[in-house]
Amino acid sequence: MIEQIKTVLAQLGIKEYRIMESVQASIECFFVRKKLDLKRRTDLTDYDVVVFCPHEQDGKKKLGSSAVIIHPEMDTEEIRQSLQKAYHAAALVSNEYYELNAGKREEFVRADSQFAGQSLEESTRQIVEALYEADNAEKVFINSAEVFTTRTVRRIVNSRGVDVSYETYLVSGEYVVQCVEPQDVETYHHFSYHDAKLDALRQDVAEALAMTQSRAEAERAPRAGKYTILLSGKNLQEIMQYYCGRSGAGVVYQKYSNYQIGDQVQGDAIQGDALTIYMKAKEPYSDEGIAMKDRLLMENGTLKMFHGGCRYSYYLGIEPTGNYTSISVPVGSRTMEELKASPYLHIVSFSDFQMDIMSGHFGGEIRLAFLYDGEKVTPVTGGSVNGSILAVQANMLFSKERYQNDEYEGPYAVRIEGVDVAGTDQDQ
Amino acid sequence: MKVQESLFIQKKKPLLKKLLDMLLERYPYASILAEDAKSGNYSVSRKNMSVGEAKRGTSRGFVVKVSDGKHYAEYSFNQIAEQDLDDLCARIAELVESSDKVMPEGLCESEYHVPAEEKAEFCGSTDYEIDPETLGDDAILAHLVKIKDEGLAFNEKILDCQVIASYQRYTKLFWSKDRMMEQSVMWMTGLLCFVAAKGEEFKTYYRTYSNLGGAEVLSRIDADIEECAKVVLELLDSETITPGEYDCICSPEVTGMIVHEAFGHGVEMDMFVKKRALAEQYVGERVASDLVTMHDGATAAREVATYYFDDEGTMAHDTTVIDRGILKSGISDLQSALVLNTEPTGNGRRESFRRKAYTRMTNTFFEGGADTKEEMIASIRYGFLLENPESGMEDPKNWGIQCMVNIAREIRDGRLTGKIFSPIVLTGYVPDLLKSISMMSENVYLGGSGMCGKGYKEWVKVSDGGPYIKAKIRLG
Repeated sequence: MIEQIKTVLAQLGIKEYRIMESVQASIECFFVRKKLDLKRRTDLTDYDVVVFCPHEQDGKKKLGSSAVIIHPEMDTEEIRQSLQKAYHAAALVSNEYYELNAGKREEFVRADSQFAGQSLEESTRQIVEALYEADNAEKVFINSAEVFTTRTVRRIVNSRGVDVSYETYLVSGEYVVQCVEPQDVETYHHFSYHDAKLDALRQDVAEALAMTQSRAEAERAPRAGKYTILLSGKNLQEIMQYYCGRSGAGVVYQKYSNYQIGDQVQGDAIQGDALTIYMKAKEPYSDEGIAMKDRLLMENGTLKMFHGGCRYSYYLGIEPTGNYTSISVPVGSRTMEELKASPYLHIVSFSDFQMDIMSGHFGGEIRLAFLYDGEKVTPVTGGSVNGSILAVQANMLFSKERYQNDEYEGPYAVRIEGVDVAGTDQDQ
Repeated sequence: MKVQESLFIQKKKPLLKKLLDMLLERYPYASILAEDAKSGNYSVSRKNMSVGEAKRGTSRGFVVKVSDGKHYAEYSFNQIAEQDLDDLCARIAELVESSDKVMPEGLCESEYHVPAEEKAEFCGSTDYEIDPETLGDDAILAHLVKIKDEGLAFNEKILDCQVIASYQRYTKLFWSKDRMMEQSVMWMTGLLCFVAAKGEEFKTYYRTYSNLGGAEVLSRIDADIEECAKVVLELLDSETITPGEYDCICSPEVTGMIVHEAFGHGVEMDMFVKKRALAEQYVGERVASDLVTMHDGATAAREVATYYFDDEGTMAHDTTVIDRGILKSGISDLQSALVLNTEPTGNGRRESFRRKAYTRMTNTFFEGGADTKEEMIASIRYGFLLENPESGMEDPKNWGIQCMVNIAREIRDGRLTGKIFSPIVLTGYVPDLLKSISMMSENVYLGGSGMCGKGYKEWVKVSDGGPYIKAKIRLG
């Protein structure tokens, strides 16, 4: 099909293009309690094509582009019509000129994953077994779960000689944990692994079961006011998205971020821990065929690079890095015991914690938190957090303890002072 | 004008019939959903233009669902040829028999009976005034660029003005032993978003536009440019709210988010099957004030989630979920209805042929009341007018609310003071909020620019809305 598309592109006189072929097979299992409710299989082949049209406008070089989906069932005439329409659209797009990624044919990159040596069914069975291993109690249990095991073979070719191909395995899914006493409550969890991290999944499920038990015991919302809060796990991971988002080449070019390389992005007077962030390559190539590698984004609070694809990197005059989905952060300066030495509100579960990279605000509704008033720890539920990273980033303290998933490896928790919490108006 | 059916699906019908017959020889239940969807996405801003198809909106393929009499299995694929039919059936058979390969010891399979289907044949298409494809990329982009230029020229403090338009035109064919149904639908949406900066803080304000139809929706954006630009500049002077419970008026968009996120997800009956929804215990009980009547249904309104039949071949409904404060009914897909021994309500929807069907909302809204927005503002001694919803998250098990809104306008002694607070988190207990509704305006507005997820995935097009409502809400 790739050759067929290239032939039509040549016939239409389209000189600049990128084609991505994805061949994907998956096994999907849907469970209600410990019963398999539905099983699915998918076999899908997709062709994502981008056509580029260099042109001039007011004496300036422009490069327009347009994306089009070519279905494997399309005949040559339908492909021709789709590509022709896309090329016409690309000519209307007057973005500043940029250079496409150039390359050559590279060896096929096999997945470095334990999943690679076995069938999708076998991988699914291992994940399901790990998922349900700790699910043995009567009052707190996995209510429902979904497991997706996917093998993808991708090939990317473009008009500048790029011809790369690679294989990935991904096991992803979600599960809901329910605890029926003393209150009937639930918590939501999701996971994704490129490799068979069965122990990590077992540990996550065990923690989810314990956390849901605690939520069932939480009866009241915290009193409204300013708190020293602890955020941990995926919520801390979400906070880090602020720095990744603000340093994106597209965001910087469009002036949605004031970041400059060399900036002390946590401010000039960091009193807490200065952040170091690495961007981690989870796949060998980006969608543009850029070879991905691990890179240093921030060091001791200083921004070291911008990251992004060919277009915005060209505009900023930097090396294109491709787009990253995973980061690694060295651990912080304090143990959890030290972070918990004085009163705090440790929010372990939100309904949907969000970090807005534009405004710098973070917040969400509290599903479960542990309130330490200096004497005792009480589980609480309800109310919400509404903070601004701009106001607190110079004073963040990170834990020495680690947390890891497919998209984040770094400190387990952060301590942040003076955050507004909406809760009850009175002590209950 | 009527939306044209897909030629691709017409061409594939004989082959799909052969496949269906082969499957029905082997299984007591077999169905095929064929989908051919095409989309267009346009975006312009100060430094960026894009046009093209999006993977989520453009898809072409098939999903087969079979039952061996006890268990269901599904196979999604996007290539079919005469010579491959035996191989296709073999792959489906292998899947049906694969349970032991994926289930460890201690787990078993759910058992379902085969649904009784009444014979039905249907063919229908929705209407549009202006076909975006006929109008052409040139005209659509030129329109958006004109809006963007006007927006940027409004004030030098405006950092950016982004204008987005999207459409999807799809044909779906559902075929089973007793049903042969075909529908073609088109919707189009728009978005106008302004950005302004105050130091490191970037403030945004947006408005959305949607219709069941075509590019006629775009003309509605033009009238809002000036007002939208003024609001983003107002936001530069916004303050942080003092957390607490307040008398609030929700704009129809915020009402829609509460209807959808806080209550709608909780009446999706696949959640009843999993015992994940508190609503199951409250059918027949009061959950809201007398003023509240809530609907969901693909036929309940003409908006982006309007269709004739769902992805499991059930005809679309208009379900009255809450009738004058009393919870009457949930909404349901076919498989959940089989477990609960209820009637499916035409809410079995897939993100595309690639994904499983779940119970999903469609057009979800509160009916209007008898008050005016002005009367509602005049009735408040101290409180807020909430506008510009940003996001929400469901909590069907515990009826907790999490909704984020961009703007709370201060009301003091029955008047807007001009002071605004941002951003705002709404929290609380759903029935407390719904029972506190004391006033509702007459006119109902529905918007369908966004997508709805189940958890963090399975995105489908929905609309939601209602009138202005007055209620007591905890803000933070």
